[in-house]
Amino acid sequence: MTIPGFILRNAFRNKRRLILTILSVALSLFLFTTLRTALDLMTDPPTTDTAALRLAVRHKVSLANVLPEKYQYRIERVPGVAVCSKFTWFGGIYQDISKSNFAQFGVDADRILKIFSEMAVPPEQERAFIQERTACLVGYKLMERFGWKLGDRITLQGTAWGCDLDLTIRAAYRGQGIDETLVFFHHEYFNEAMNNLGLVGTFWLKTENAEVIPSVIAEIDKAFANSDAETKTETERAFQLEFVSMMGNVRLFLGSILVAIVFAMLLVTASTMSMAIRERSREISILKAIGFDSRQIFGLILAEAFGLAMAGGALGCFGAKFFFSHLDIYKMSQGFIPMFPISTETIALGLLVAGLLGVVSSLVPAYSTLKTTVVAGLKELD
Amino acid sequence: MLVQIRELTKLYSHGEIQVTALDRISLDIAGGEFVALMGPSGSGKSTLLHIIAGIDRPTSGDCHVRDINVADLTETQLAEWRNHHVGFVFQTFNLIPVLTAYENVELPLLLTSLTGRERRQHVEAALELVGLGDRMRHLPRQLSGGQEQRVAIARALVTDPTLIVADEPTGNLDAHSAQEVLGLLQTLNRQAGKTIIMVTHDPKAAAFAQRTIHLEKGQLLNGNGQHP
Ligand SMILES: Nc1ncnc2c1ncn2[C@@H]1O[C@H](COP(=O)(O)OP(=O)(O)O)[C@@H](O)[C@H]1O
Ligand SMILES: [Mg+2]
Repeated sequence: MTIPGFILRNAFRNKRRLILTILSVALSLFLFTTLRTALDLMTDPPTTDTAALRLAVRHKVSLANVLPEKYQYRIERVPGVAVCSKFTWFGGIYQDISKSNFAQFGVDADRILKIFSEMAVPPEQERAFIQERTACLVGYKLMERFGWKLGDRITLQGTAWGCDLDLTIRAAYRGQGIDETLVFFHHEYFNEAMNNLGLVGTFWLKTENAEVIPSVIAEIDKAFANSDAETKTETERAFQLEFVSMMGNVRLFLGSILVAIVFAMLLVTASTMSMAIRERSREISILKAIGFDSRQIFGLILAEAFGLAMAGGALGCFGAKFFFSHLDIYKMSQGFIPMFPISTETIALGLLVAGLLGVVSSLVPAYSTLKTTVVAGLKELD
Repeated sequence: MLVQIRELTKLYSHGEIQVTALDRISLDIAGGEFVALMGPSGSGKSTLLHIIAGIDRPTSGDCHVRDINVADLTETQLAEWRNHHVGFVFQTFNLIPVLTAYENVELPLLLTSLTGRERRQHVEAALELVGLGDRMRHLPRQLSGGQEQRVAIARALVTDPTLIVADEPTGNLDAHSAQEVLGLLQTLNRQAGKTIIMVTHDPKAAAFAQRTIHLEKGQLLNGNGQHP
């Protein structure tokens, strides 16, 4: 036998308590990592969660009415607007009207991927798309449907707009939560084909954060009030706006739950350790009598508590990671939560919390056994 | 003298009330002696034994063991001193319930610098000596009371200590097991030359010792403390 063996034997002496303690720590750390990830997502939404930050500016009367191109400069100057792109529905026909049930938009090629950052495009393709005036960016599903490859040329026959567009496919995107059957092309190229008409269907923009959305909306619409083309600015997912503006409170709420969980865990493990050690006070006196000093006894208790907490912590943290990586959260939340990545940082923090928990929860019982003299401890059962 | 006790006093105070557990005791014990400490309950036998064994401290007076004043050592030094010099046998619950007989005996050796193989030799020899060579893998609850006490004795002697102290080692045993345990202590004393101090209130147990010291109300009776 060795000292670590002795510690293990002590830990395993009451298997039911061992399992319950580990499970309670594990469950708490599962909650901890989950909540902390949720908090993370709110504080710093992942690139795919930008939908809530997106606004569309359209003509106040209807989507069929168009806006002057020059509005873009004014919109970009509104505080809180991070990036803005023209976004004009083309509605062209590809070969045959029966095949043409996919949408095409004229956009600012260098900006559109900043606004729709859910669209994943290989960097060299993105560059190729931005550089070439007649390039287009196509969704993967559409590529597959028509058997298109990069470099293929396609022609879109105008219907609503009186021009045809000859495009070269330079980039393809995959997009979580974004329709993968769209075609994007350069608005400039379209505008030239329309003899510099200078009209835009809608503007899409991304705000810097969720808090500014109400003021951005108000300011844009105010800027164009009483003009020929008044605007109506709305969020991409209006229902999300409410959620997002509540975020401050939700964050506070989650934060307090986190603290409460850590505290509850501390009480559970500390009381388990105290019980475990109190039961052994006679044995600890015997250990002292045969020569274990206070430091060594403390080491035994600390190692046991720490090991227990770390076992539970690892189970909870890695369990959460495993659980959420094997769960199609995007589908389950019907697109509401695009993904739920438990970061390494969160896991590290969880393990740190578990470790501290182990240390702190061993302090109380360790202190009380150290205070007890050998003789007093021996008397306990005599 | 292996153990030299001079004017040893131990007081316990409960608020106003003071209990004199040991009252200016002077006592010598030579190496190789088997001494029985006898006396009625509450006479201070355990207190005296605890001070000699370095798990309790006197209020005043000296207790030298091999020329070391045990009261001068710090807690940590004292723990190490006990590991080297004292083997304990208590009345009950001597053993760690989750460890086998073998592991219980090995426990004090974990604090030494012995290698695993050396530990094994010592543990096996000690268990053979107490007649439990065939019970090494048994847990305490799989042993009888007498066997448990013999494991405790094996643990007490495995470090080859200066002193073996036993506080009512047969107090919880039936007559037959008690005889076995006392016979074992006697053998250890006679054949291996171990110095043993045993607390008991049973004259039949005390008869196994070479010398009996009587305590009453914290004092030695008839001055038998000084060595003849
Ligand atoms: N921790 C203590 N606090 C107060 N009094 C104690 C304590 N330990 C022992 N005593 C008292 O000291 C006296 C001697 O006790 P002890 O040495 O245990 O006697 P014995 O072992 O002979 O029965 C008793 O009167 C006992 O009540
Ligand atoms: Mg006693």
